[in-house]
Parts: sequence; C-alpha cells; structure tokens
Amino acid sequence: MTPPTAIPDTAARIDLAQIRGTRGAVAPPSQWEALEPLLLQVNKPAQYVGGEHNQTLKDWGSADVRWLLNYPDTYEVGQPNQGIQILYEILNECPTTLAERSYVPWLDLEQLMREHDIALFSLEHHHPLWAFDVFAVTLPHELGHTNLLTAFDLGGIPLRSDERTADHPLVVVGGHAAFNPEPLAAFIDVAVAGDGEEFTLELDDVVRTWKHDREGGGFAEADARRELLRRVATQVSGAYVPAFYEPRYAADGRLLQTVPVESGVPHRVPKRTVQDLEQWQYPRKQIVPMTEVVHERFSVEIFRGCTRGCRFCQAGMITRPVRERKPETIQKLVREGIRSTGFEEVGLLSLSSADHADIGDIARDLADEYEGTATSLSLPSTRVDAFNVTLGNELARNGRRTGLTFAPEAGSERMRAVINKMVSEADMLRTAQMAFSGGWRHIKLYFMVGLPTETDEDVLAIAELGIKVYEIARTHGTKNRVTVSVGGFVPKPHTPFQWAPQDSPDEIHRKLSMIRHAIKEHSGLKLRTNDPEEGVIEGLLSRGDRRVADAVQRAWELGARMDGWHETDTLGAWRQAMDQTGVDLAWYSYRERLENEALPWDHLDSGLEKDWLWSDWQDALAEQELDDCRWTPCYDCGVCPGLDLVHDTGYQALPVLGSRPAPEVV
Amino acid sequence: MQRIRIRYTKEGRTRYVSARDLTSVWERALRRADLPIAYSEGFTPHPKVSFPDALPVGVASTGEYAELTFAVPIDPGPGIAALSATLPTGMEILTYWEVPDGAPKLARMLPATLWELEYEVLDASSDRIAQDLAELAERALASHELTAQRERANGEVRTVDVRAALEDLRVSIVDTTPLLRAVTRNDGPTVRPTDLHTALSSLLSGRDDGRGLPEPRLHRRVAQGQIVATGLREALSGEVERLAPGRLAGAA
Repeated sequence: MTPPTAIPDTAARIDLAQIRGTRGAVAPPSQWEALEPLLLQVNKPAQYVGGEHNQTLKDWGSADVRWLLNYPDTYEVGQPNQGIQILYEILNECPTTLAERSYVPWLDLEQLMREHDIALFSLEHHHPLWAFDVFAVTLPHELGHTNLLTAFDLGGIPLRSDERTADHPLVVVGGHAAFNPEPLAAFIDVAVAGDGEEFTLELDDVVRTWKHDREGGGFAEADARRELLRRVATQVSGAYVPAFYEPRYAADGRLLQTVPVESGVPHRVPKRTVQDLEQWQYPRKQIVPMTEVVHERFSVEIFRGCTRGCRFCQAGMITRPVRERKPETIQKLVREGIRSTGFEEVGLLSLSSADHADIGDIARDLADEYEGTATSLSLPSTRVDAFNVTLGNELARNGRRTGLTFAPEAGSERMRAVINKMVSEADMLRTAQMAFSGGWRHIKLYFMVGLPTETDEDVLAIAELGIKVYEIARTHGTKNRVTVSVGGFVPKPHTPFQWAPQDSPDEIHRKLSMIRHAIKEHSGLKLRTNDPEEGVIEGLLSRGDRRVADAVQRAWELGARMDGWHETDTLGAWRQAMDQTGVDLAWYSYRERLENEALPWDHLDSGLEKDWLWSDWQDALAEQELDDCRWTPCYDCGVCPGLDLVHDTGYQALPVLGSRPAPEVV
Repeated sequence: MQRIRIRYTKEGRTRYVSARDLTSVWERALRRADLPIAYSEGFTPHPKVSFPDALPVGVASTGEYAELTFAVPIDPGPGIAALSATLPTGMEILTYWEVPDGAPKLARMLPATLWELEYEVLDASSDRIAQDLAELAERALASHELTAQRERANGEVRTVDVRAALEDLRVSIVDTTPLLRAVTRNDGPTVRPTDLHTALSSLLSGRDDGRGLPEPRLHRRVAQGQIVATGLREALSGEVERLAPGRLAGAA
C-alpha cells in the first residue's frame, strides 16, 4: 500500500464557525456527491450508503451538540456493536443533540477517498468528521488502533491531540480497550472506562454549555480548547484526559508512576458503573443492516458484568459487578425489538448468559412465545455444564439442533485451576454426552495456549480432551463433528494475569503443532487456530505505555490497516515501526512484571484493588481456585463498596452452584 | 395459499443493496408489517418471496417484481400499504395483483424490459448529446449484430450480443436531460443497461472528431411487461410506459 498522504484541508476553505455553531448552524457539505460515483468501484458498496431501517435523521441546525459515533473497523464488523447502538439512541433522544454513525472504509475505498478528497463521513447524511463536536469511538479491542488514525486522517483532523484546536472535534474513546488507553494517549482527548450511558449524557451537557459560553465570549478564544478539556476532566466523573497526566520513568526505563499535572483532576480516574440497568432499556430501535454483517439479530443484554473470576478474562474483571435485567423487561425488550426490526433471530447477550438467576424462566417464556414462528433464539453460551444443554434445547425448539459451543479454555485440570475456570473433565464429558444424545450434531470447544505456568503436558491435554469428546460424538452418529478452536493467550490489564509473560509467536506455533500432531488420526475432529502473529500487536497494545504511541503512528504510516483481518498482513510494518521507534517488544510483552512495578494503567481505577489482583495472581501460581462471589461470600476484590447493590447478587437467595451442574429447569 | 404479485421500486441508496441481501430486506420488512408470509419446508425455512431476476447493483428501478405467498390470506389493500410503508427509503410498492388460480408464471408476464439511460448534462450540450445518441440509436437498430464486452470480477471478459435482445431504442429530451430508452426482450441474452451504453459507445470508435459519449448519470429499469408499438405495457397495471416520454431528438 502506498503511504497515506495528508488530505487537503477542506475545512479551512469553509466558514467553520457557521457549521460548528449551536442551533441554527449551517450543515457542512455532504460527501455523498463525490462518494457515489465511486461506489461501483469498491467491494460491498452497500456498507457506505446508510439508509437502514431505524436510522435517525436529524437536521444539522436543530442541534446544539453533534456527535459522530465510530467503530474503528468496517461496517460489517462494527454495525452490530451494542455500545454504539445504545449511545446512538440515548443521544438522539435529546432534542438538542444529534448523533450519527461512522465506520472505517476498507482499503479500496480509503485509496479512492484520498484520490478524490473525500472526508470520513457519517452514514446518515454523509457529513464529514471534521464538522462534528464530538468524535466518540468504541475500542472493543486493540486491533482497531491504526484504523482510528485512518479515521482521523481521512476525517480532516490532526492525529495528535496536542495539534488539535477548539475548532476540531473532541475525541473520546470508550470500550474495553479504553481501560488502558496509554498507547493512544497522544492521539485521544478523553478516555472513559466502564459504562457509557450516564457518562455520555454528562459529557454532552458539558460540551453544550462550553459551546454556549464560547459563543457568548465567556472565555478567551485562545483558551477555548484547554477550557473544554479542563471542564471535561473536572466536571465529568470518569473522564480521563491524558494531557493532564504525565508518566515518570526510572533511568532503566521502568515506569515509576503516572501523575496528574493539572490542578483539580483526580489522581485515579474511576470507571463508570450504571447501577440499575432497568433505567436504561436500550436498544429499542436497533438499526437493521441492508447488507451482510457479522451478527444479524436483535440483541438484548440480559445482564452486565460477570463474577466467575476467570483470571485471563479482562471483560469478566472490568465489568463487575453483575447487574441483571428483570425477566419481564427482557421479554418486553425482545417483543418490541422484534416488532421494530423484523429480525429473525434474538440474541440474549452477556458474558455468561446461562448465569442469569432466572435464565431458565426467561428461556422457557421466550421459547413459548415464539414457538411455531420463524423467530429463533440464541444464547452465546460458553459455560460447560448440563444445564447449558437444557437451555440450548429450550431455545432450539423452533429450529435445528446444529451446534453448541463450550469454552473449557484449558485442557488439563491443573491448568484450569490456574486460570480459575472451574470445570472438570467429568463435567465436559457429561455435557457432551447429554448434547449428542439430545440430538445436537456439532460441538465447538474453545481453548487457549500460552497460559501462565503452561507445560507441554497441559498443551497435549487439549488434544486429549478433544479426542474424548469426539469419541462420545461418534457413538451417537458417524456424522457428528467436534471442532477444537485454539487461540494464543494475550495477557490483559486489570486482570490477575497482567503481570504474566506472553508467549512468543514461535512458542505458540510450537504448541499448536503439538496439538495438530496429536489429533491428526481423528479425521472428524477439526482443529481451528488463530494466526499466532496476531497476538503480537494485540499484546503490545494491551499492556503498552505512552512510549508505544510512536510505534502506532509509525506502523500506520508504513501502511498498517485493519490489523485484525486475515486479508491484511501488517506485522511486518509493525516490526519495522517498533525498530524505528525503539519499542522493545520483549520488554513489553515477553517478561514477567514485578510486584512493585508501576503499570501504565495504575491511575485508571477499574474498581479492582491491585493488591487483590496480585493475591489472585499468587493463587493462580499456586493452582488455587476461587469461587464465584455471586453464590458465595465476598472476597473483597474492591468493586462493590460505594455502589448501591440491592439486587446485584444472588447470594443468600440461590444455591451454591460452583462447578456442579445446576438443577434442571422444567 | 394466497399469492400476490407486486411491482416495486429500488431507487436512491437501496440501489447498492445486492440481490443476495435483498432477500433479508424483504423478510424483515414482512415481519415488521406483521404479514403472515409462508415459509418453505425443510432444514432452513425461507420466506416465500420470489424474484424473477436480479437487478445489477447500482442500477435504479421502478420496474422490480416479486411474488409473495401468504400462509393465511391477507386483506391486500391495507396489508400491502403497511408493507410498503416499512420498506427502506427508496423502496416502495407501486402496484399489486392478487394471483388467480391458473395464472401464468410471473416470468411469463414479463417478456420484455424497458430500460432508461439518463445522461449528465454539464452545459448547454444536451441537444448535441441527444443528437449523437439518436444517430447511434439508428445505427444500432440498423445493425445485425451489436456486441458489448463486460469484464467480470475475476477478470474474465464476456461478450454479449445486445442486438439479439434489442426490440427498440429511442432518444428523447425531458426538460434538458437526454434520455435513452430501450426495450429488450427477456428471452434473449441477458442485457444489462451498462451493456447498452458500451455497445453504443463502441459504434463511435473510429470517428474522426474523437467525440465520445459521456457516461450516463443513472441507469434505470423502468418497467417490465408486453411490447407495444409505443413502448411497453406494464405487466401488473396494464399502463403503457412510452419509449419516448419527451421531445424526440432527431439525428443530425
């Protein structure tokens, strides 16, 4: 790919104040006229046209504050994202706020947009990014970081936060990868960790007031941007403004501390937690894509958070505590959602949906309601127990019993104790037995290699467990299939494994070949693996600090795009970028970190006590398991104090489930 | 089971929806309108919505057709209106027809297509473009063979004989826009509107003044139905769509 070129400064030729003003502002030029003639030259043009059912169209001039929401990947991947959908509805419900959506163009259109001077655009009106007040980006993982720079560059705004002025959009990032925004600190204005609903509305208010004050001459124009950043950092809880913090390094390069350098900003920025999901009943009018996307279904989040305590799982750690939606609310959201979208599938989402205290009733009631209709129900299920098969049976009443997915995550009992995945081999085999005898024809098993303390014996145990499950499959039908899917583990911030060394791609390759060799005689047992090289970029960005930013920018300049796609091979660009910017991959990813070492995300408070994470890390090394606190007494991870947790835990009311199969639902 | 045939539009942004994706656009609209569409039997039931052919991506249309089969009879007036209202912007149902027993298949009601190529007019050149087009149209109709080459995604080049399917061709001017309308027979080789333009352009090659044909601003399938002297009798409404809706352009 040719290196990106700066797009001509379209914004400069237009009276920005008229476009970026409060109500009554003039709409910016639409990019549609220039874009449309190019659409037949690119792949999947429907992803760039918008116009989907349930989109919200508001007049530019009707709003005081205008948001452009973004998912830093293609429409195909980003469209189903729940976070964007929820914020889109919440913001557009405010009479004086407007929110539109954007994604990142595939390489073919990016090239054409540069040639034809077309700015990154919204799907609703094809308004250019540079005209909006807030550019809000969700970072579900780290492999969209270079795409974020593509969005800035195409959108006509400077890459670096310190090069932007009050006439540029405020760049805000959220999502799971925003729990360590340090590798992006140079590029973003604000990061928020945690739930976005309340934060977004508070930020919207601050931006609105700032715009009015600016128009009224409430502060010197030269201070306008700093004033905005200050207001955001001091008035909106959870807003982390990297410009107001500085890292201090020891002579040997270790991080000592990241400290505030602006008065009035918090030393540790708290994450945001919505305490009562009942007050946030979204999405209601989910956008219905007109072209293929990765998940085409109406999704209802049945609870947020997870307390299973799997030590590798960042989502399970950073989204605590568990907050459930009431079964009647779930049923209502499903009913209204189906009516408003026409989707043929409903997904009951959460990190471990079978764990909802009332999941049996929820599944049965929905299955009753939609029995005999063309609506199918799905539960992204990963819990290994018989109860999950019962649930699967219930939800598949309408359709086929094709595949069930389980995630034992590790092959040996020892390894599962280390990662706190409390599933026994007996559980797994009993579950497989029940599934295949119940008519299911395919089981998919998810595993990881590269986990802390892993030996070759642990790796081979993955193959052995896969073979045992496959033998059960064959006794119920020669056409039954088992797929073993193995990925390389990447340690994540705010987890007990944040101190753990990551395996190199060579080591992951070696382990995957061991598994491949061990199962090769079993032709109906399929092995699927991820490219171990992909974990290199993800690992660096997951636990990187601010010094990694130069490598991000350099990799992007060298052509890194769409790092999460098999179609693009960007590792070469990344390795070159790391060389040129002095970023030592081994230091960031392959060494074990020390107890007394400062971590780049220490000043961002996920709620979890660092001491507790450390003791859980020590427990992991000692192969000690820890029960789910939903059903057992509190072990003081630190999340709950300060929150009003009336109905957040089922402890007391419900039986202890541990790793035993739950009682069956009738 | 009740069958209803409809004529609908695919204009604006929905022009970029592929034929493959269109099936789910219809399925979801039918579910939103709460109409009891019938489903096929089998492992993966599909709603019984059938289309006679696929419109190329990017081409506009006021002449798309589908047959809907309902599991329970609906009151077609309000039912089809509700369905039309919930379609994405750019798609609209223009006409419906309840299919009596023994009716011919939908495809047999659509023996011919009326295409329209709308040309861009940048200055006062519309008369000149229209004249060029009219001259080419005459030559095209007088020819015995008129081929267009079409490159597929895999790089393979396919040659289509446009003349074999071409029934009539006329150029007229509506306001200042030159419109080329053509009637093609659907039983011949599959001709796309882009093939018509390519074929006409090929007649220009070798001209001394080097004047080329501008690219059409829009290709549109206007309607499908029976060939009549002045154009095409639309299959469901019986109305005639004229081959020359505007002021005729004479050859130079």
